[in-house]
Amino acid sequence: MLVTPALAVIALIAIFPLGWTVWESLHMHELRMPWLGKPFIGLDNYAEIAGDPRFWAALGHTAFFTVVSIALEFLLGLFLALAMNRVFRGRGFVRAAVLVPWAIPTVVAALLWRFMFESQGGIANALLVDVGILDQPIVWFIKTTTAWVPVILADVWKTTPFVALLLLAGLQNIDLTLYEAAAVDGANGWWQLRHITLPLLKPAILVTLIFRTLDGFRVFDLIYVLTGGGPGTSTEPVALYTFNALLQNLRFGYGSALSVVIFAITFGLALLYMKGLGVRLGGEQR
Amino acid sequence: MTRERVIAFFAAATMLLLAACDGGNAKKRGSTLKFSGSGLGAEGRVVSRQIERFMRLNPDIRVELQQTPDDATQRHQLYVQWLNARAGNPDILQLDVVWTAEFAAAGWILPLGRFKPPVADFFPATVEANTWAGELYALPWFVDVGLLYRRTDLVPVEPSNLDELVKQARAAMSRPGGPRYGFVWQGARYEGLITTFVEYLGAFGGRILDERGEVVVNRPEAVRAVTFMRDELYGSRIAPLDVLTWHEEEARFAFQNGNAVFMRNWPYAVEPMSDSASSRVAGKYAVSPMPAAQGGRSTAALGGAQLAINRYSESPAAAYRLIAFITAPEQMIERAQAVGQYPTRSALYDDPRLRAARSIPWDQAKRAIESATPRPVTPIYNEMSEILQIELHRALVRQAEPQEALNSAAKRIDALIERTGMRRLAREAGK
Repeated sequence: MLVTPALAVIALIAIFPLGWTVWESLHMHELRMPWLGKPFIGLDNYAEIAGDPRFWAALGHTAFFTVVSIALEFLLGLFLALAMNRVFRGRGFVRAAVLVPWAIPTVVAALLWRFMFESQGGIANALLVDVGILDQPIVWFIKTTTAWVPVILADVWKTTPFVALLLLAGLQNIDLTLYEAAAVDGANGWWQLRHITLPLLKPAILVTLIFRTLDGFRVFDLIYVLTGGGPGTSTEPVALYTFNALLQNLRFGYGSALSVVIFAITFGLALLYMKGLGVRLGGEQR
Repeated sequence: MTRERVIAFFAAATMLLLAACDGGNAKKRGSTLKFSGSGLGAEGRVVSRQIERFMRLNPDIRVELQQTPDDATQRHQLYVQWLNARAGNPDILQLDVVWTAEFAAAGWILPLGRFKPPVADFFPATVEANTWAGELYALPWFVDVGLLYRRTDLVPVEPSNLDELVKQARAAMSRPGGPRYGFVWQGARYEGLITTFVEYLGAFGGRILDERGEVVVNRPEAVRAVTFMRDELYGSRIAPLDVLTWHEEEARFAFQNGNAVFMRNWPYAVEPMSDSASSRVAGKYAVSPMPAAQGGRSTAALGGAQLAINRYSESPAAAYRLIAFITAPEQMIERAQAVGQYPTRSALYDDPRLRAARSIPWDQAKRAIESATPRPVTPIYNEMSEILQIELHRALVRQAEPQEALNSAAKRIDALIERTGMRRLAREAGK
């Protein structure tokens, strides 16, 4: 009984908007076209999504972006965390310093990266030509492959510190005597990493991956600023596609259906993670 | 709450209510109008001055300037939200040239026929852009038009057709110390790409929609137009690949710094580039209408602002009086003098006050406006444009062949027409 107010609040701020969105998604509701009325059309919006190649392409782009950027962030972040976990002078300062990219608002960071890659005289082109990787400056944003480069780099640059810090927090919970015991038994560093650090880091890894995957699936501002989803729509993520349907074209019904689909996907992913890694959030290991 | 506080609260509430009622009375005595339009900087000052003059001449009407975002997309979104809520404010809406059909079909603005507006005084293209189902829905306020900028020191005579433009550009580029780029335009994936495209399309004799509102954008003329644009990028290479990420300002910077022979841009670029302190091309450029190709005619994209009356306005007659005043010759000339925006009345281009006003090439501008073509006048323009932007960009970055991209655009636009019931709407409007 005592939890009733809490449940009511959750219902009000979480369930109600979600229910409203689902209800809206069952209608044709085009704000720009009042002559169409607002008829109930059942699952037609979902059928349109299923048959829309742009949606499937956007889903593919989102998955690609999420997998590649998280893989890089995780490896780099783990490396950084292990380095920062050692005791050295100025450790506090270094820990604060690595957080700087994370502290910059995404839109600003995206703009910075766009300036670096934008023109043929941009810093990225100048650097790569000097080093000899490129023969001549290229226009990064008109080819799909090259357009992804600044997007992924910007995300890795910005989010690795966050990953590193989460992992570092996990590392600090590991009992140091385990390493001492392993060292006495003659285990080398690699063995220690595989059999002590990684297993005990599992909860922290899980939390990190959940956060990052969900973030990755909702990526919007970075790509909106950097490529706008172009060239064509070949770097467009689902969130940008939804934004377009909902706020540019003011197709409330269809946009709501898209939101519901994204919600279902991210929710499913979160469940999968919890199952796959065999950890209960906030509870002890199974 | 103590008792005193409760009493104070009710007293305050009553005062507010009384004040509100008083406002209602004031409305009965005369009418209060809310005018929403560009209210920033010099533009805002001109509008305020004109509104004050109007109120002196019409003491029974009070006008307030209601600020709306200067960004077109944001203003559009705001208007759509208000009108969906049937708000009567603002009474007068400033519409972008591609919105009129949408607002008219939605029933959000009033047809102006009953006020007998002086239609014949305005450029035909501006009237066409504001006409839906045979009725005029907004009065053109000022006009924007696509122009070809040319470096007169490199190319003394204006090109008579597109092929000649390519030749002239190549010749000027290959001169020792010649500019890096031959022709710069707006090719990023945004509305500006469509304005560039309709100029090429018209030059080759193509259209996006025909008279019946059916898609014809995958016809051979359109394919030739896109192929020509692609050839500028990958064949003759007079246009740098960078233009595929460029908007108006990037093109202007390139031209203003002396890096381009030709540029496609709006009239706004004239003034900043005439300033010899910041422009390397001051006094060394001229404007002309975009040239035609074989089988088509010289075509300029049409932009600009219009004024329309909110359907839910309580005083439409007063609103029309204000619109008529603001779009009268005197006010248009004042506006042109103050902020350099082009009048929509063709007769004013011979007015000595206008010609004395600014360093604007009025004759060439008039020629370009006379060759202007509105973008498709249809209530679903916005979504149609998005489809075209994507498919054109795909063709220009070579993700798709021109015919393939245009077929895909035509197919998707056709599905859009079907989904939005445009054919039925057009039939009903035609009755």
